[in-house]
Amino acid sequence: MTMLKIEVCVGSACYLLGSQDLIEMIEGLPEDVKANIDLRGSSCLKACGKGPNVKINGELISGVTPDKLMEIIKYNIQRK
Amino acid sequence: MSQLHAEVGIAQLSKDGEELCGDKVVLTQTPKGNIIVLSDGLGSGVKANILATLTTKIASSMLQRGIPLVDVVSTIADTLPVCQQRKIAYSTLHIIKISPAGLATIVEFDCPNSFLIRDGKVIPFPVEKKNISGKIVGVGVRQLRENDIVVAVSDGVIHAGVGGLLKLGWGWKGIAGQLRQICAQESSASYISEQIINCCQGYYLGLPGDDSTVVTVKLRKARRLTLLTGPPVNPADDREVVKRFMRKSGKKIVSGGTTANIVSRELGKSLLVDLSCYNEKIPPIAHVKGIDLVTEGILTLNAVLERINDSELVYVDKQFDGATLLTRMLLEADYIEIFAGKAVNPAHQNPNFPFEINIKSQVLSKLQAELQAKGKHVNIEWF
Ligand code: FES
Repeated sequence: MTMLKIEVCVGSACYLLGSQDLIEMIEGLPEDVKANIDLRGSSCLKACGKGPNVKINGELISGVTPDKLMEIIKYNIQRK
Repeated sequence: MSQLHAEVGIAQLSKDGEELCGDKVVLTQTPKGNIIVLSDGLGSGVKANILATLTTKIASSMLQRGIPLVDVVSTIADTLPVCQQRKIAYSTLHIIKISPAGLATIVEFDCPNSFLIRDGKVIPFPVEKKNISGKIVGVGVRQLRENDIVVAVSDGVIHAGVGGLLKLGWGWKGIAGQLRQICAQESSASYISEQIINCCQGYYLGLPGDDSTVVTVKLRKARRLTLLTGPPVNPADDREVVKRFMRKSGKKIVSGGTTANIVSRELGKSLLVDLSCYNEKIPPIAHVKGIDLVTEGILTLNAVLERINDSELVYVDKQFDGATLLTRMLLEADYIEIFAGKAVNPAHQNPNFPFEINIKSQVLSKLQAELQAKGKHVNIEWF
C-alpha cells in the first residue's frame, strides 16, 4: 500500500495563516491512520498569498483548513 | 594569528536604598578597538549617577573620535568639579582600551588599580604615574595574550565589609585572592564579574554601603557568525551570494524559507524541514548539510528580538524552537556579519500579516543595535 504524502508549508505566510494547526491535527490522528501518512514540512510552496498551502501526493491545495485536510485524508485513506 | 576578542562582563550593585547606581560603565567600539569607560560619581544616587554619566559620556565620545588619551584625561580633569571639603574630583575615571591585536591601554584617575590575571597569577596592571593638567593619573600599556583577563572595580568593591564583617574592608588583595580562585577555572567575563559582585554583596551583608561595579575583560579568539537572510533583489546574484556566504569562517545561519531553498539549490544539498522543533509562534527549523542552523525568516527574527535580552527565556527554559536556537548562537558570537537580501517577499504584502511584525530592515537594525550594546561587532550588508 502506498503512503499518503502530505507536505505542509511552514513558510512565514502559511504559518501565520495557520499551518501549525494542520500539523497538530495530523499529529493528533490515531496511530493506525498516521502509519499511512508520510508527513513533511516545506519551507515555501510558492503560493504564499493563498495559504496555508499543502501538497497532497504532489498536488498543491491552497487555503487548507484542518477540517478540509481531514476530509482529504479520510477520502484518500479509505479509498486504498 | 587569529584576531583576539575582548569579551566584557559587567556586574553592579547600588548602594542600599538607592535606585540609581552612582557608577557608570560605557562600552564603545571603534575600528581601532574596544573602549570601556568606568566612572564612579562622588556620593550615591541621582547626583553621583549624573556626574558619572557625564564623565563616561565625555570620555567615550572623545575617544571614539580618536582624540588621544592624554587630551581626553586633561579635558576631563579640567572640567570636573572638585569637592570643596574633600579636595577630590567629583567623579573618578577608569579607561580600558583594547586594540584588535590585544594591546591594552589603561588610564586610572582616582580609582583602584586594575587587576591583570595571566597564567593563574593576579598582579596590579602596571601603570606609570603621570601628571596631566596637575592631576596624578596612572597610565599603563601592555600587550595582552589569549586568556589574559583585566578587571577594574569601583572603590565600593574594595571597601566591601568595612567596619562590619571586615575591619578594613575587603581590600585590593582580598579581591585578588578571590579572582585567583574564580579564574582557576575557565570562566566567562560575565561570570567573573558576577562572582566578585556576589562576594561583595556578602561582605556588605546584603546592604551595600556604596555603589559597587566590576568590569571584567577577557581576551579570547574571536568567534564569528554569518547570517544569510532574504534572497538578493536580483536572482542572478544568488549564486555569488551563496558562494561568498559559504566561504565565511565560523558559524553559518540561514534565516528564511525562500533563502533556504536558494542555498539548498545552489549547494545541491537537500533541505529537510524538522517538524519536531516549533511552537505556535515560531515555524519549524530545517536542515541543510554544511549550515549550522536553518530557520524561517521574519517571524523567527521578530521572536529573536524579543528574546535577546531575556536570558531566562534563552537559557533556562528547555526551548528548542528556531528563535531560541538562533538567539543563543548570536549571543555566543563576537563578530556577526549579516547578508541581507532586499527582494520583497510577496507573502509579506498579505493583508493578513499582523502589524506588530516588524519588517525585515527594521528587525535587522534593531537586532544590530541590541547586539552592539552587548559589545559585538555587527555588520549588515544589503544586496
Ligand atoms: S509560505 Fe507557504 S507557500 Fe510560501
